[in-house]
Amino acid sequence: MTELWSSPFFGLALSIFAFWTGVVIQRNVRWAVCNPLLIGALLVIGTLLVFQIPYEAYNEGGSLINLMLTPATACLGMSIYEKLPLLRKNWLPILAGCTAGSASSMGSIYLLCRLFGLDREMLVSLLPKSVTTAIATSLSASHGGVVSITMAAMILTGIASSIGAPLLVRVFRVKNPVAAGLAIGACSHAVGTSRALEMGEVQGAMSGLAIGICAVVTILLSLFVF
Amino acid sequence: MKIVGQMAIIFGICWISELIEAVVPIVLPANVISMLLLFFLLAVRLLRPEHIRESADFLLGNMSILFVPAAAGIINCWEELQRNLIALVVISLVSLVVTFWVTAASVTLVIRLMKRGKQDD
Repeated sequence: MTELWSSPFFGLALSIFAFWTGVVIQRNVRWAVCNPLLIGALLVIGTLLVFQIPYEAYNEGGSLINLMLTPATACLGMSIYEKLPLLRKNWLPILAGCTAGSASSMGSIYLLCRLFGLDREMLVSLLPKSVTTAIATSLSASHGGVVSITMAAMILTGIASSIGAPLLVRVFRVKNPVAAGLAIGACSHAVGTSRALEMGEVQGAMSGLAIGICAVVTILLSLFVF
Repeated sequence: MKIVGQMAIIFGICWISELIEAVVPIVLPANVISMLLLFFLLAVRLLRPEHIRESADFLLGNMSILFVPAAAGIINCWEELQRNLIALVVISLVSLVVTFWVTAASVTLVIRLMKRGKQDD
């Protein structure tokens, strides 16, 4: 049986097929809980458990997909660059909001981890969870965190923000669209941004910009915190 | 052939970033370095967005698929995750709300101060 999954193409095909199934399900169901990444990961885990395939065999192909994260993250540099005119126009509120947001995200996670008595490994895995996934996972990994735990927290945050973003805007009475977009971008990831885009063009653009700026701010903060 | 050239540029940036990561004494992931490096190259106009446009859009547009293997890696730390599940859920949700509120409040405050500053002029 092991021949079936000894090729790296097994992990490649399984990952992409699982994600694609998630995309198809989300397109038809339209619930935020049906996040393609969540469904994809669960399908992969289910397949490995049912057929008793070791994760290492799957990862022969999986690691190739993982490798592509660096080039994809590099391209985030281009998306920040292309939003520079927008940044120039609102630089003070954006910089203030993203700095306060990133600091409060890391601060609240730090305090809660102390409160729950979690160890350093969990703390390092959770600290960067509010920034975009590629940056968060690599910050977590390079400081000795567990990438999969970071992923779990991020998927949870993504789904919660996509359901909760409109609610938060209402509860905290955020009337200014710039403030709403930045707040959504600072606390969530691309999933939240797509929700912000549904609220309006300014919210969407600001949310996308906040993701980039918060990433840079968090990187700078992490140099001192860890 | 356009895509080939674009991929060569992007992979080249990644390669140089990993070299920089190995040399620089502070902990800065190659991922992050490559992002800053590409931004820098664009900012000093050594590169233009057109040089990498199609490949970059493809990678950015399909980024979430790249996280499937890492997310499936939860299978390896399931026990640790289960032990800390309640903490994980509470921390994720509370920090989400706190971050949202602090960001929204500080942006609103700055915008209000800027308006007042303009009126005073």
